[in-house]
Amino acid sequence: MAIDFNLSFLKELERERVLEVLFRDQTLQKAEEERIRKLKTHLQQLRWKGAKSAAREYQERSCARCQKALGRLLNRGAVCNGCSHRVCPECQVYRCNIVWKCTVCNAHGEVKIKTGEWFYEEREKKFPSAGKHETVGAKLLKSYQKMSKISVVPPTPPPFSEVTPGYNSVELGKSKNFNKSVENIFLSLTTQVKKISKSQNDMTDKFYLSTDYGKSKDRRKERRSHSDTAIHIASELKKSPSLHQLIHKAREEVHEIRSDPSQETKETDDPNKTLFFGSLKRSSMTSINSVSTDVGSIDNANVTGEIELAITYNQKTCTLEILIKACKNLAHGEEKKKKCNPYVKTYLLPDKSPSSKTKTSVRKNTVDPSFNECLKYTVDRSQLETRTLQISVWHAGRLKRKVFLGEVFIPLEFWDFEDNSTKSFAWYQLKAKPKRTEDLTLQYHGELCVRLRLEIPPFSRTFLYENLPDGTDVRHFEVVQLHVVIKSASNLSLRPDGFLSPFVKSCLVLTNKQEVKQKTPVLRRQPCPEWNHTMIYNITNPSDLRKSRLDLTVWDQGLNERFLGGATLSTGEDDSASDCHQSAHLLWEQLLSTPNEWMEESLLLQANKGIFHF
Amino acid sequence: MGLVWSLRLVYILLPLYQLGEQPGEYMASATDSRYGQKESSDQNFDYMFKILIIGNSSVGKTSFLFRYADDSFTPAFVSTVGIDFKVKTIYRNDKRIKLQIWDTAGQERYRTITTAYYRGAMGFILMYDITNEESFNAVQDWSTQIKTYSWDNAQVLLVGNKCDMEDERVVSSERGRQLADHLGFEFFEASAKDNINVKQTFERLVDIICEKMSESLDTADPAVTGAKQGPQLTDQQAPPHQDCAC
Repeated sequence: MAIDFNLSFLKELERERVLEVLFRDQTLQKAEEERIRKLKTHLQQLRWKGAKSAAREYQERSCARCQKALGRLLNRGAVCNGCSHRVCPECQVYRCNIVWKCTVCNAHGEVKIKTGEWFYEEREKKFPSAGKHETVGAKLLKSYQKMSKISVVPPTPPPFSEVTPGYNSVELGKSKNFNKSVENIFLSLTTQVKKISKSQNDMTDKFYLSTDYGKSKDRRKERRSHSDTAIHIASELKKSPSLHQLIHKAREEVHEIRSDPSQETKETDDPNKTLFFGSLKRSSMTSINSVSTDVGSIDNANVTGEIELAITYNQKTCTLEILIKACKNLAHGEEKKKKCNPYVKTYLLPDKSPSSKTKTSVRKNTVDPSFNECLKYTVDRSQLETRTLQISVWHAGRLKRKVFLGEVFIPLEFWDFEDNSTKSFAWYQLKAKPKRTEDLTLQYHGELCVRLRLEIPPFSRTFLYENLPDGTDVRHFEVVQLHVVIKSASNLSLRPDGFLSPFVKSCLVLTNKQEVKQKTPVLRRQPCPEWNHTMIYNITNPSDLRKSRLDLTVWDQGLNERFLGGATLSTGEDDSASDCHQSAHLLWEQLLSTPNEWMEESLLLQANKGIFHF
Repeated sequence: MGLVWSLRLVYILLPLYQLGEQPGEYMASATDSRYGQKESSDQNFDYMFKILIIGNSSVGKTSFLFRYADDSFTPAFVSTVGIDFKVKTIYRNDKRIKLQIWDTAGQERYRTITTAYYRGAMGFILMYDITNEESFNAVQDWSTQIKTYSWDNAQVLLVGNKCDMEDERVVSSERGRQLADHLGFEFFEASAKDNINVKQTFERLVDIICEKMSESLDTADPAVTGAKQGPQLTDQQAPPHQDCAC
């Protein structure tokens, strides 16, 4: 029963919507595969532990699992019906009174249930040809990729709490600062400016799918939150009236940014991306949301003080009770006037809807308020394990102006509600708004550590890139050498058995589309490879380098080569390389501007194979 | 003076307006996709079950799912595009079970997509609308679809939705039950709007999938059928293989 359908019959908007679901499913599947892999590794370890092997001598009568000696008459053990090994009573697991299995057979059965293997096996009886694990979603995605002949980039992660958009970004560490990526700031600012002009009469909405309940609902919620803060934004805007300045300000905040103005719009202009425009737009809206609530914290980042509270769960009434006792040493909401009218607000994240919000009353003119209030949520105990309590302190200014004074996040996943010590009051240090704390692990495909150097003969040091872009000033340089040392890689996605035979392909794409390729040796069975392999590219026309790109891709050498991830180094001037990370841009820029110096960088690997040359 | 008062008025009215602006209908999606991230990365569970909800258009599949997953209800009808899913982790029989519940479009034109998902589903909720004769008549067809596209042990619950609308009922409980018996499905009448039998339906389905699961495990290995630990085997040499060949 081959599945020979595709998404071509759908209208574009519908396709978008379906693709979004498919990607969401894909994320889920990935996490599931990871879980299954762990289960299987665990089982394997259990097997090895007990397995008898030819290399070692065993007593004739010993338990196959724990190797304990067994007697002839007493304590003679019994044979497991699963594996026919003789095992001692300790290694027998009873499922009911008489039926037992040895520990390994039992674990095997358990893994079979836990991984859902039982289902696939049953299903195979009916659809023997069907691939065991490939899901319909995966097939659909594939067929879609074929159909549109473009590389499908994973869309934005679903907007979870303050997740920032970045539809193809796999950003960590250094590049974290860029999460509020420039084009989104740009987008949000323009939209906000539009909104401010209409915010008083809560503007009408025009540009959304009417068939889409999810979006339309989101939109309405967001809209309200804009108007909440609209006044605040307006006051922000007054201080720095021009949009350009605002962008500039945002840029300073996102430090290390390059001053290339064409950069901001490039990514959104990319025709390939229009595909996800729907989701892009939506996530931008979410980012506005988070930006706009952040606004309050911008001018008073100096969060101080502590909050005293206790958390209890009432089993009878199914209520989560948060007893807010007091705060001390709060920052002044209005520093100049030394005014502070604090109140406490909580959300039971990830729910950020109004139903999840509770507040204490406002205390007037104090930085050490005592509240003694109890905030309650009616929520199932099981629900709490996925929740995080966000407790924030705010200053209530005039005209609904709110100033952020600090917050605390308390994940409830491992909260022990039964323990008396956790029920009592405790002081929590208030913190400033966290830097983007989304879960990136799902998109994280490991890192590749490289060292780069551009070697230029001494007399041609004048090779500075400002001379080059227009190409008019072509000088005759000596041959320039690009040294690339592939050092190591970490956190690669492993094979199910926990091993890898990784190697790196390096491909320098020159302006005339010429590709120069090199490879590192394959390291056998090393999940954390260290190659320290040097590659040298001789470049005859160095001015080319600015428009060239270097693609480094990591592979697993098995029966087939498996793609593990890749990174592109380029200036981003070449359109095809616009997926390149900011950190990689910077590295390439630095490399070109400071020749004869070693640069070392950990590059984040991206999983969308289609964008790389290899 | 007048200005101050009008400003105060705004201050008072603004929150009221906001309150009025949040009827139940859109609370649902506030949690909608936000949950996705956390839920999907969460690996702290024992089993993962995939469930598919099928039935004619507008019988209330999406509402049913929203009620279960988010405990929310929206009276507005929005047609599902193709497919969608939600994830919910429940605690049942001492196990944490993660449910990936697929909501399908009832409309004919999406049929190619939706039927493709039948194969991955362990259990089905086949839904009709008790106020809609046509949706009830289609149950037989849906059941045939399941037989064709799904595995042989597919667990199906027949659910007559909208049982809160007693006044407009056209399909009696008795007819529903008879049909379910005839098809070999279990039967519930439910209401997503009034939250009747929603949780029960899913929990029952989870239970019967669990039953199937342990059955398949028991028949698949010989331990149960040949539960011999008697002396006749004790002197045999254990086969030389190193691990379980079960």
